[in-house]
Amino acid sequence: MSVTELPSTAAGRALPVEPWNRHLLAIGVLAVVLIPLPLLLPAAQGAVAVRVLIFAIMSIGWNIMSGFGGMFSFGHAAYFGLGAYTSAWLLVEHNISPWIGMAVGMVVAAVFGVVVGFLALRYRLKGAYFALATFAFAEMLRLYASSSNLVNRASGYHVPLLPDDTSWWFMQFEAGSPNYFWIALGLTVFGLVVSVLFLRSRVGRFSVAARDDEEAAASIGIPVMRCKLVTIALSAAITATAGSFFTQYYLFIDPDLAFGSSVSIQAILPAVIGGVATIWGPVIGAVVLGPLSDVTATLLREPPTFLSFLQGRVGLDIILYGILLILIVLLLPKGVYGALRDRWARR
Amino acid sequence: MRRTSIAVLGCALSLTVAACGGSAPAGTTDSGGDSGPIKIGSLHPISGDLAADGQQMDNGAKLAVEAINQAGGIKALEGRKLQLLSGDTQGEPDIGQSEAERLIQEGAVGLVGTYQSDVSANVSAVAERNEVPFVIDVSSDDAILQQGYKYTFRVQPSSSVMGTEGAKYLQEVSSAAGEPAKKIAILHEYGPFGTAVSKSFTAEAERQGMQIGPVISYDPLSVTDLTTQMTKVKAAGADVLVVTGYYSDSVLAADAVKAVKPQLDAVFGVADGAYDLPQFPEQMGSASEGYYDSNYHSDMTNPETQKLAALYQKRFGEEIRTGAVLAYDSVRVIASSLEAAGDTDPAAVRDAIAQGNFETLIAGNGPISFTDTGENENAVPILMQVQDGKIVQAHPDEFAQAKPLYPAPPAQ
Amino acid sequence: MSHPSETRQTSPSDPAQAGAPRTRRPVPWLPVLTTVALVVAAVALAFVRSGSGAVVTQAVLAGVLIGGIYGLLAMGLTLIFGVLDIVNFAHGAFLTVALFLTFWLVQSLGLHPYLALGVTVPAMFLIGFGVQRGVLSGAMGKPLQNQLLITLGIALVIENALLMFVGANPRSVALPGDQGVQVLGAVAELSNLFAFVGSLLLAGGLFLLLQRTRLGTAIRAVAANDVGAQMVGIDVRRIYALTFALGTACAGAAGTLVAPLVTIEPTTGSLFNILAFVIVVLGSMGNVVGALVGGLIIGLTEQLGTLLLPSQSPQLSVFIVFVLVLFLRPQGLFGRSA
Repeated sequence: MSVTELPSTAAGRALPVEPWNRHLLAIGVLAVVLIPLPLLLPAAQGAVAVRVLIFAIMSIGWNIMSGFGGMFSFGHAAYFGLGAYTSAWLLVEHNISPWIGMAVGMVVAAVFGVVVGFLALRYRLKGAYFALATFAFAEMLRLYASSSNLVNRASGYHVPLLPDDTSWWFMQFEAGSPNYFWIALGLTVFGLVVSVLFLRSRVGRFSVAARDDEEAAASIGIPVMRCKLVTIALSAAITATAGSFFTQYYLFIDPDLAFGSSVSIQAILPAVIGGVATIWGPVIGAVVLGPLSDVTATLLREPPTFLSFLQGRVGLDIILYGILLILIVLLLPKGVYGALRDRWARR
Repeated sequence: MRRTSIAVLGCALSLTVAACGGSAPAGTTDSGGDSGPIKIGSLHPISGDLAADGQQMDNGAKLAVEAINQAGGIKALEGRKLQLLSGDTQGEPDIGQSEAERLIQEGAVGLVGTYQSDVSANVSAVAERNEVPFVIDVSSDDAILQQGYKYTFRVQPSSSVMGTEGAKYLQEVSSAAGEPAKKIAILHEYGPFGTAVSKSFTAEAERQGMQIGPVISYDPLSVTDLTTQMTKVKAAGADVLVVTGYYSDSVLAADAVKAVKPQLDAVFGVADGAYDLPQFPEQMGSASEGYYDSNYHSDMTNPETQKLAALYQKRFGEEIRTGAVLAYDSVRVIASSLEAAGDTDPAAVRDAIAQGNFETLIAGNGPISFTDTGENENAVPILMQVQDGKIVQAHPDEFAQAKPLYPAPPAQ
Repeated sequence: MSHPSETRQTSPSDPAQAGAPRTRRPVPWLPVLTTVALVVAAVALAFVRSGSGAVVTQAVLAGVLIGGIYGLLAMGLTLIFGVLDIVNFAHGAFLTVALFLTFWLVQSLGLHPYLALGVTVPAMFLIGFGVQRGVLSGAMGKPLQNQLLITLGIALVIENALLMFVGANPRSVALPGDQGVQVLGAVAELSNLFAFVGSLLLAGGLFLLLQRTRLGTAIRAVAANDVGAQMVGIDVRRIYALTFALGTACAGAAGTLVAPLVTIEPTTGSLFNILAFVIVVLGSMGNVVGALVGGLIIGLTEQLGTLLLPSQSPQLSVFIVFVLVLFLRPQGLFGRSA
């Protein structure tokens, strides 16, 4: 397989030429189209929209390493949490702007990812072992944060409320402000652009080649280890931005919200459903999953008469996640976007 | 091809449903206007791990609303009735937050809740931003009221008060029996709740001249066996074991006491989640005799509390827990403040809460009255003991239903 | 159906050995002795840290007893991995199902908890068979992430279905006549002891099944080389389903045995799930004896961890051991280097 081969799907087949500029244009158009959205939506739906974007950012980050890079990560909560805690700690303990905190968080997460990745790759962990190692590190961070006085133990951090509601410097606005959506949209665009530029770059193409056949890639001189570490660093940094934003939006972070296994799962699901190793997969998956919790919660609160036995119960949304996951993996292994793209390509 | 179409159709369908969104109400904040019921929000874990307590508390809030409505509603506002909006936090802080926002959107002029400190922390931020008063019925973490928030109040005693008063009670009871407790071991859950109680207990106990050690913490979520920890306590030769934890881990501690048989004068729960509940002697049998718990508790010597307990038993078929009584109290705080303010504007209600004195069915040092930071200055725990398979209030005297038995060596 | 062996993961360990093949493999003395030495060192350190022999003895006893149950659970998981090459993330969820089933049997029929084994083991066997045939057979031979995600999906569905339909109120099962018993200077509840002995018996039974029966030989054959097994006439698909069923039955048995020891909630199994994975890696994926030994080691790690790192959760000690094993000896105690 030659080095200049274009990115293939998870199942291993090559695609026709990806016109990168078309993707960038689509990102731009989408961003512009979505700008007025928070002004049109009622407050409750506005919160759902922000949640969709947070899922999307996390999953875009995950996709870089696990989709394009082929290194399945089961512990992406580590990067999310490091982003969240870094900016929270800097803000609460040292009154540093969350923007700076976010940037520092990206660096911290990237460094952590590179260290873990280096150890894992050096010891030749693959597949299930690699995934379990990533999970173990995320859990260790959670347990350590729960008992460490450095980060307020299991109490976590509250973002102090500013006396006058609005401040761009401290990324805090009045409840339901559209600024939150716009910041999240900006971060999502950032993540998507990074994904496109990554795939277009040499590092990206080498990583994809290494994913498809590591030995062949190494044998033609691709610096596999270095490419993988860069991939991991990018993946960690993007996911960390989601963590920092989360803290500012919800005004609270604790070890479970930051490093819990459900966070790792939330990073994986949108990409799998939308299409692993595709640019748009995580976004589509996030749009499907984001409102799901809200819809089911409303359904369970006031179910229609034929579903009245569901009244007051909980857990339906996650059951749907699980069923959706199983269906997609069995029937649409390339995800919604991947399947659509194939259909259009065949025409 | 067919499979693909089906799956794509399925996703399109779910997208459409999602786009229609939940039937959440449009964002017009409606403070009940000038007529119609006045809404109060109740935020508790009605489902999830803590559903049993969450439902009790929601029920307590309901009974309070009914009692007030039966007595004629809010007379200062032409007898307008109250309506309870129940929110389910599912035990999760982010869901608690979105539920709080939803209830405020639907017009709640006040909120009560939430049973968990992390959920309450999130809700108090929402309350502050939306300028809607939030009365905490159960959540002990001191940090919640140290954020400088003006709109959050707490009815129950905080963790540090629990620890301090617990140490005082231990000293009083053991000295009165002629066997002052000298060496105290502490077994606590390692989260913020257990740690805060343990710290404040230690500070007060050492001030009273008691020696503390060993202090052992455990992870309440993953623990299956506390015999190793109990062997440490036994090896250290402690007189009294203080336990601070949640229900299932406290039962494990009692199991370990039964198995390891340390030579103790008493097992002394401080804000313990098991030792003042009727289920505990039911589950442990005679091995639970003599267990103490210094905890907030309904004042069962108060005839009004007894009536409420009887009503609860009749309506819901189970014994009322203190959490439900606290929720009842909290709703009454908001209702009385509506009376005092004569206004449904949440800011006015908040001011009335901050300045008022409110009746309480909980054993304490007086009516509910809030300090500048929102703590109830008259909130104290009382000491209970398992005697003959029943939980009785034992100390201080004004609330005692029976004398405290000390020493009370466990599982003899 | 594509051949599983084509996309079999190049894992550092040997392709699964469910027990030893006919020619006994030599016991890998070096790693075993190193492990024993490490355990002894940990015990000694714990003794120094806690300053009391009674405490350390108690910790060792408690660790070994719970380790037996961990081992039984992990045996099921390692069998599944060894034969089907599936990372079964739903294993803990199956244990939870068994817990609730046991609770229901004890509660409504008044059964003695251990008699419930007679129901839960066959029930979980059938459920496992059904799940493999129905859902997982479509994912055989697909890349790792697909199986991991499907079993994750199954786990989410099971846990939350229990949450939705049975509720999350914590429940408990009591062993009639439970009491503390003196064992070698430490104390153990009868329920712990019985659970330990039961786990060993069932583990022994599984081992015998794999070694001495035709089914067991067929399973081991498929584990070693499924193409070859198919060529000698073994119905590989049936073996896959049966093995998954057996593994799930192990989870069921572990669930019933552990029921009197834990609070029964929909999330209880997920704690055991992670431990099972750690043990499977420690004991070498696919090695049934290794899983049992690994279980004992992890049980000890948890208990000694509370003595060595008293302010931390014992899970942290387990993860530290896990990460060390992953890096230093990923093939586990009994595997050979790639």
